[in-house]
Amino acid sequence: MIKKIFDWLKQPLGLIAVGIVFLALFSAAAYGIYLTQQAPDQPVPEFPHKTHIAFGIQCLYCHPGAVKGPAAGIPSQAKCWACHNQIQKTMTSTKLAPLKDAVLNGQSLEWVPVAIVADFVQFNHRAHIAAGKNCEDCHGDLSQSTIYQNPQVFNMGWCLNCHIQAAGEDQVKLTKLSDCGTCHY
Amino acid sequence: MSEQFSRRDFLKLAGLGAATTAILTGCGPASRYVKREPYQQMPEYNSVGQSTYYATTCRECAAGCGLIVRTYQGRALKTEGNANHPLNLGKTCARGQATLQGLYNPDRVTDPNKAGAAMAWDAAIQVVADTLANYKPEEIAFLMGTAPDHLFDLVTDMANATGMNAPIRFGALSMFEARATLSKAAEEALGHFSLPWFDVGGAQVVLSFGANFLETWLSPVSYTRGFAGLREAKTKVRGKFIQFEARLSATGAKADEWVPLRPGTEALVALAIGKLAAEIRGGALPRVFSGVEPIDVAAASDVPLETLERIAGLVAASGGVLAIPGGPALGQSNGLAVAEAVLALNAFADNLGKPGGVYISGLAPAQVEYQRAASAQEMQELADKMASGAIKALFVHGVNPVFELPVSIDFKGAMANVEQVISFATFPDETSSLAHYVFPDHHGLESWGYQRVATGAAQPVLSGAQPVVSPFYNTRATADVLIAAAQLAGGKFAEALPYRDEVEFLNTKVAALMAEADGSFSAPEAVTFMAYFQQYGGWWKKSSALATPASDKALEQNIAAAEAEFSGEGEFFLVPFVSPTLAEAGANKPWLQELPDPTTTVMWNTWVEINPKTAEELGIATDDLVKVSSEAGEIQAYAYLYPAIRPDTVAIPYGQGHTAYGRYAENRGANPANLISGYFNEAGDLAFAGMKVKVEKISSAVSGAGLSRMESGMGVYGDFLGKEE
Repeated sequence: MIKKIFDWLKQPLGLIAVGIVFLALFSAAAYGIYLTQQAPDQPVPEFPHKTHIAFGIQCLYCHPGAVKGPAAGIPSQAKCWACHNQIQKTMTSTKLAPLKDAVLNGQSLEWVPVAIVADFVQFNHRAHIAAGKNCEDCHGDLSQSTIYQNPQVFNMGWCLNCHIQAAGEDQVKLTKLSDCGTCHY
Repeated sequence: MSEQFSRRDFLKLAGLGAATTAILTGCGPASRYVKREPYQQMPEYNSVGQSTYYATTCRECAAGCGLIVRTYQGRALKTEGNANHPLNLGKTCARGQATLQGLYNPDRVTDPNKAGAAMAWDAAIQVVADTLANYKPEEIAFLMGTAPDHLFDLVTDMANATGMNAPIRFGALSMFEARATLSKAAEEALGHFSLPWFDVGGAQVVLSFGANFLETWLSPVSYTRGFAGLREAKTKVRGKFIQFEARLSATGAKADEWVPLRPGTEALVALAIGKLAAEIRGGALPRVFSGVEPIDVAAASDVPLETLERIAGLVAASGGVLAIPGGPALGQSNGLAVAEAVLALNAFADNLGKPGGVYISGLAPAQVEYQRAASAQEMQELADKMASGAIKALFVHGVNPVFELPVSIDFKGAMANVEQVISFATFPDETSSLAHYVFPDHHGLESWGYQRVATGAAQPVLSGAQPVVSPFYNTRATADVLIAAAQLAGGKFAEALPYRDEVEFLNTKVAALMAEADGSFSAPEAVTFMAYFQQYGGWWKKSSALATPASDKALEQNIAAAEAEFSGEGEFFLVPFVSPTLAEAGANKPWLQELPDPTTTVMWNTWVEINPKTAEELGIATDDLVKVSSEAGEIQAYAYLYPAIRPDTVAIPYGQGHTAYGRYAENRGANPANLISGYFNEAGDLAFAGMKVKVEKISSAVSGAGLSRMESGMGVYGDFLGKEE
């Protein structure tokens, strides 16, 4: 039975069918990969990091969790509103409408964090800040960008590369920084 | 494989297919995207990425264990015991862990409503105020659960000032624990009307007559800790534990020896052991033991005389003997005699007020006298008053009497005669579904309050409760509703509750403790004192307040040493026992439903425990549907063949069989309370273990139906292995 099918597949018509199926699968896979790399919808689609930075606001003012714990955190809208309620444009701008509506109606802005790692990675900002890393070392130069996008994929190779460089010639440090249990525990 | 298409090619293609599938089903970051809902207004004391911990008090039963709840971004995530709390020292039971599922229960009452139609709180408070003002004080009754205590105090204050009926407290647990019997026996045998406290941890030989102290009895977390002390063998000899009961409970399963006596003979057995021990020890025979004849007792109780003699030998020879009365043994017509006989054994063992013995629980802080929950007889009296029209307005909080009381007391029928029933239920239970109005209280984790630790800790403890999360729904603290309504009602009501809100009332009550010495903390002024009270999860004294019982009475009593009376025509004794996992109000929490019963591993259902020998005679196999009927009613449930039960006894767990109470509890299992008639013992407790029932098979087990359980029948009965004859 199986032999019959394979024999048929070797006919010209069969080969074309195999080709079509293969192409379909390949393009579906490619589209699937493309989809996984798309940024998710955000409540304020064009949130301008660059404008905020240009005003001289420090990263930690809005994301204070980065200095002491795993999550940098998303600011509560009370924090947004503290400045924005003094800015006339907030009430008129269509781009700022999501913020205005959420605050005035007592709703939450539901952000989707994209600078994330898999659940089995125990990441903590604190150690990295303590080691002298700056925000832009990993998250890129946000003074030029609007909504945040990862400058690179946060995968293990990328983490480990930096860990090994940081260790330099120090063997003890290298062991600590490249140990599985450092991040996976 | 054909030659043209090699194995290698096949594997390559299969691998490519698998990789494609994996990518298509999402290995990318998109699969990990989740929406985060940040605070709208983040409290100052919170920090992004860090948990906030609150100390509060568990409200799943009345014991008053301290909890530490981990919260993150305004959500309660985990409850653990409060390590500083003298009652539970950092431990909780399963129900304490599952309290979160009450908080997040999808079937909570979300808004004040009149028969399901939502209304505004202002209108609701007006309804309460009108009810208070328009009815005569003696026509108003408050029925409350055994927790929380602060609300009970508030209503008591109101009742004292206005002439309203004093609030009545009730809970199925206190009914099945026969608290009225235990406290009355303590009064008659030990000279104190209070709950005795049994120092299991310090004892060497524990004789328990039906007390299920590792399950739900009085203060299970504290007693479980005591039990660990009994068994611990580092500093002393490992203690021995003997359980006397017709059906082996989860507590009994931990015993060294199980004495399956005939139900109703507990008093006789205790007295016979006392008499034999007194004879071994020599000297004058205490009067309390003089009325029994051990040979007759052996015959009546099915406990061989040698066993009685052997245990009597232990009692006479060892130090540190402790006897505990409890559970079904007290819920019989002669329950008071059982309790007194067992307490007499303690007096004989000379352990009253000594380590490893019996103490009288001290009063909690800010407590004038020991207040036990109402007995079933007092509930019957309330129901009679309601039915006769003497009670015209009924407020219900924290208890579900329509489910918890036996049908024979007919609370449901009595409620129908009450003009105005207002329920403060958090969940849509059987009682609130019959109420005219439901004005939902917050869940315990959203509430302020305090709970007195009635027994279980050596020192007096007032356990503090505070909200760990903001209320999720449009609910309101019942204390706040009553304070606001009392102001509206005016007159004596307004004078009785001159508070702005619940917190001010709490502060007034708790700040009175500032003047007391020997406290776990002190503060110069009230604000700091209350801050510490919330921080530590309560206030307690540093030294013990356990009282020594009077020792002259117990051995000089005259106990009518008769067997208990049983009602009904059936051939089997019925032992209804509180499910160790669900208790009376756990059925709406899936974690507890999914938690296997400790002895049978059954989940999500009610079962009837039948001895395999009896079952064989009746032609019943495990998972067969059986009908159990008594003079009061009948229920249907699946049979479970249980070797650790007397052949003349059947046992049914209590906790399921709800007709309301949310999606997880409704229409699941059966309620054994439907089999119990309204007979009471001398102390007014329900003789719930005094029924005789018939058992009939209805249908054979159907594959796929029956009981969900974890054990395999193979290990227990040799199923599938071929029966050995």
